[in-house]
Amino acid sequence: MSTETRVKDRDGSAPSSQDARPRSTGTQPPWLIVTLREVMIKVRDRSYAISTLVTLVLIVGGVVFNAFMMNRGDDFSVAVQSDSATAVVQLADEAGQANDGNVTFTAVEADSDDAAVELVRAEEADAALLQGSDGAWQLTGKTEIDSGITQLVGEALNAFVLESNAAAVGTTAEQLLSGAELEQILLEGSAENQLLATIAGFVFSFLFYMASIIFGMAIANSVVEEKQNRVVEILATAIPIRQLLYGKVLGNTILAMVQLALYGGAALLALNLTDTADLVGSIIPASGWFLVFFLFGFLILAAIWAVLGSLASRPEDLNNNSTPVMALIFGALFVGLFASGQFLVIASYIPVVSSVAMPIRVLNSPVALWEPLLSLVIALAAAVALLHLGEKIYRRAVMQGGGALSLRKAMKLEQ
Amino acid sequence: MLQVQNLTRRFGENLAVDDVSFTIPSGKMTGFVGANGAGKTTTMRMIMGVLTAHGGEVLMDGKPITASDRSTFGYMPEERGLYPKQPILDQLVYLGQLHRMTPSDARAQAQDLLDRFQLGGRGKDKLESLSLGNQQRVQIAASLLHRPTVLILDEPFSGLDPVAVDSMVELLRDRTAQGVPVLFSSHQLDLVDRLCDNLVVLQQGRLVASGSGEELRASAPRRHRLTVTPDAGWVREEAGVRVIDVAGQDAVVEIDNDDTAQRLLATAMTRGSVHEFSRIRPSLSEIYREVSQ
Repeated sequence: MSTETRVKDRDGSAPSSQDARPRSTGTQPPWLIVTLREVMIKVRDRSYAISTLVTLVLIVGGVVFNAFMMNRGDDFSVAVQSDSATAVVQLADEAGQANDGNVTFTAVEADSDDAAVELVRAEEADAALLQGSDGAWQLTGKTEIDSGITQLVGEALNAFVLESNAAAVGTTAEQLLSGAELEQILLEGSAENQLLATIAGFVFSFLFYMASIIFGMAIANSVVEEKQNRVVEILATAIPIRQLLYGKVLGNTILAMVQLALYGGAALLALNLTDTADLVGSIIPASGWFLVFFLFGFLILAAIWAVLGSLASRPEDLNNNSTPVMALIFGALFVGLFASGQFLVIASYIPVVSSVAMPIRVLNSPVALWEPLLSLVIALAAAVALLHLGEKIYRRAVMQGGGALSLRKAMKLEQ
Repeated sequence: MLQVQNLTRRFGENLAVDDVSFTIPSGKMTGFVGANGAGKTTTMRMIMGVLTAHGGEVLMDGKPITASDRSTFGYMPEERGLYPKQPILDQLVYLGQLHRMTPSDARAQAQDLLDRFQLGGRGKDKLESLSLGNQQRVQIAASLLHRPTVLILDEPFSGLDPVAVDSMVELLRDRTAQGVPVLFSSHQLDLVDRLCDNLVVLQQGRLVASGSGEELRASAPRRHRLTVTPDAGWVREEAGVRVIDVAGQDAVVEIDNDDTAQRLLATAMTRGSVHEFSRIRPSLSEIYREVSQ
């Protein structure tokens, strides 16, 4: 600054404290100030805090509920009238408790077939297992028969009949079935991992989808708010507009990452505490990859969302111009849900889509370390390129009053 | 001192600002007047660097201004705007920090400005909960907060009640007393008269007048009021005298030089009694009306 503009006060005293500008000393860089504001505004927003809490409660509640449902034992009572029926129910009971199962079956003996049916009608038994005079078996329920009963009793009946028919011809069921064992072998991974991978892939895909839209929209809205209110003119005279953009992108990226980590951490913790999944351990590395890939994918999306915000003139315009980025986010979601094989491998190298696809691959099967690293480098390059391009468009478009702009128009603008 | 030199800006075919040059002296208030669409806002936006100039430059003490110079300016854009949903003290602190103030300094300064606008107790209120006039006061506080070295204010007085206008004037006088150059646009000519040391007049993108009050008055046509009995109608026949208005005993005349004035007075005295013969000092608003006709 010049000294000429700072003349002494009229009374001739030295320049007052007004001139003792505390510049640069102890102040933060502008992008950091913008980042902190973005974060603080969101954190102090009551509806945001409430929705985060509600989601956390839903996640933990879902896991706990699931664990409860899985551990909950079913106790079925089956009315019987014959010894063979009693034997079938006993077999079902044994099967129900095999492999850590906790389904029990109790046989309730009735004097007659009619008495057995009456027990069902009076809801004293869940079903009645009866054998007609022609030898055919019947399972009678009141209004419906629990699938747990039909399945286990059906299997037990099969085994019982097989055993007694085998005995009748002088052999055993074991002999009859010898050589019929089917062993399942997976070339990669294990069956349990496969199920887990499917579930985790589903969770990754949806978390990415939700966070990309929620926090992406937040960036776009924050940009359009400043544009609509013309605060951006004041901001642009105070700091380089690039720093404003980077601060916004960074602030919302931090918010998204923290929220993802919070949700993921809560889910893993709940899974562990309820002993639901012994294999939680194998999700953790994939979850770590997911967080890293999310970071890079989100940076790309953030640049796009910021440009969309700068092209809009009101928040309503975002509904119209966000189609391309929504398509990209949907693409990542669908790849995460449905892609497999070669398609998934290709997807795991496409920026944004790779945020979901690569962690799923890591979870599904052994992947050489260079693969996720190469994919990250590609995503990072795309992020840098898009932030750079985004900044150019943003700088031009955000100063324009009037209606919403098209991308083509914005590129032609001079600042 | 800020110098605007040959600033030019086109919007498509339309030449919004055409080769405009003027000076905003340090420690002075410069009024920026002109009809709607004359190019005032476009000029101010070019000075602030939010709009690219197609020609010309802005100098600060002889050197072209830079972005870091501008970051020390105080600017009030034509379209008002801060964050509607944020508490007013918080957003003032934020803007202060962006202007390189420490948070505590920004907070103290913001509180001081809010106090001066009788908004001291409302720092925690959201901007949108304030009346429009009070929002305007916050906007002013935002432009003054960081102790700007130059003030560029687009219509700072519009929407203010008389009390707020007085507070604003007091604040601006504080700043000019410290040598800050102030440029403000206004359609309120009485305020321009009351506040301005300098005037810049634009008309359809072109500069039609600029300078200090004295300079402008000196270059304005020289007018005298003459009151005589019995009747002033005879002035119409006097050589070198252009009659602006004659009504009975009163006449307003434009005279090209002092000799003519003396001759007119002498003639008047021979024709009857002279009750008044005085030079009319035009107000800045009259000069504005004159040059923008």
